[in-house]
Amino acid sequence: MRRPQQQTAGTGSALLAWVGFAFLLTANFAVGPLFSGRATIDFIVIAILFSSVRMRPGLAAVTGLLTGLAVDALAPGSFGAAALVLTLVAFGASRLKAVFFAEHVALTGLFVFAGKWLFDIAMTLLTGGTSGTSVIVTLLWWSPLSAVLTALLAVLLLTVFRPLYRPHTN
Amino acid sequence: MAPRVRSDGRLDTGLVLVCVLLAVFALILPRRTREGFAATLRTTILSPLVALEGRAASVRAAIIARTDVLVTRGQLATQALQVKAVADENVTLRKLLGLSARLQDGFVPAELLPPRGAGDDFTIALATGSDAGVQPFLPVVTADGLVGMVQSVDRATSFAITWAHPDFRVSAMSVDEGAFGIVQPHLGAGAERWLLEMRGVPFRATLQPGTLIVSSGLGATYPRGIPVGTVLGELSTPEKWARTYLVKPSVLPNAIGPVLVLLSARTQRGVNGVWTTVSASDSAARAVAAAGDSLARAAALDELAARRAALDAAADTLADSTLAFVAGGRSTAADSARADSARVRDRADSVARARRRPDSAKPRVTGVPPAPR
Repeated sequence: MRRPQQQTAGTGSALLAWVGFAFLLTANFAVGPLFSGRATIDFIVIAILFSSVRMRPGLAAVTGLLTGLAVDALAPGSFGAAALVLTLVAFGASRLKAVFFAEHVALTGLFVFAGKWLFDIAMTLLTGGTSGTSVIVTLLWWSPLSAVLTALLAVLLLTVFRPLYRPHTN
Repeated sequence: MAPRVRSDGRLDTGLVLVCVLLAVFALILPRRTREGFAATLRTTILSPLVALEGRAASVRAAIIARTDVLVTRGQLATQALQVKAVADENVTLRKLLGLSARLQDGFVPAELLPPRGAGDDFTIALATGSDAGVQPFLPVVTADGLVGMVQSVDRATSFAITWAHPDFRVSAMSVDEGAFGIVQPHLGAGAERWLLEMRGVPFRATLQPGTLIVSSGLGATYPRGIPVGTVLGELSTPEKWARTYLVKPSVLPNAIGPVLVLLSARTQRGVNGVWTTVSASDSAARAVAAAGDSLARAAALDELAARRAALDAAADTLADSTLAFVAGGRSTAADSARADSARVRDRADSVARARRRPDSAKPRVTGVPPAPR
């Protein structure tokens, strides 16, 4: 099976990608707390997914690990869980980037939705914070709701900040 | 190309495996080690982001708190209004209690019944009636002064006219007993509708603004000494032999709350010292006569004679002859005395048959004897 042709990003494209990544990472800490609730927008997942499509899978996994450690530093009770999950999400997104960002904004939103939901499922299973019916309610109601909000923001960012988040093709 | 791709693939796989192992290692570290490592990250690399997160949380807390503050402020404002209303009612009731203590007996307390529909604004309904001893023509008072007079009585309720009723009259005087007259509604427009005017004040008697006007006791409907109002100023009238003063009532319309109805026995005994302390009517008339003014002397003597005559007539049940004697041409004071005292069967102060107002029914100087030449 021939591997899909790797996308080559120039220096400028890489710089823009890191700027976009830093912007989303900062927004997670500066804007996220303003909208805290049961259903939240996850800027970190968007940042990981958008940056992973510009990197090799290995590098994406490293980015996911480091970002996950930063998230876990604020929740030391489950230190390592976000690092593990984001590592796998970033690696998977990088491996699926040909399908992930097929120049279709709606499809991109769908995959952000799936990525966020999978992230929440994995975190819930790893941390084990809730049990019983609340787990089911969380995974079947609040997580999908958060995934929808995250996907909508991703589509908006992809539309408004296209130079930052649109992967370049050769 | 293919070996390069394979090596790149192995490199990526190796990297992800290393990352996964490191993440799992972080998961299985002892709690204390994990917390120490997390604290190190928070205080070093992540400190700017942590500060950002703290500031954002503060902003959110401030927004939520502002909503709570607005809600609390609204609740406090509502409670403050209620507290003021309760405090005002408390003051009114305390004043009424004080009045009750000073009166000691001879009165019936009464609550005001709410008005039903668009009725007379100057008539009040009382939640007490003949069962409690209330009768027509009894004075209605509060701690501030005179409210009006009972007009009609049922067993459990009664109706009273207030000072603003067109039929209201009271013989009044200044608290220093220097001027006598008849107080009646001013019948002005707007807010002035609730004011009073004191008519028939002898021309020589000048009342300064702020002078307290009390009931004079002439006529036996209202005992002597009940505050009626305070003088606001003089009104210009066509009458040149008497003065008319605008009077602000002692009891304001919004302060007509629980009232006391003075029973007949209390009225006859008098209420001197309850609101004010005034001298007896006879001594008051003599004081006027001693002022040295011939006109005043004659008027005062005529007033005294008229009052005595009226009392005698009432005692002897010779009502008609008394009225004729009184109407036979005496002074200004006699007119004012007649206005509220010339009642034998019906107390004349505020009789509903106000076909003519006593102060304007006859020329003021009719009964004045000619001055000696």
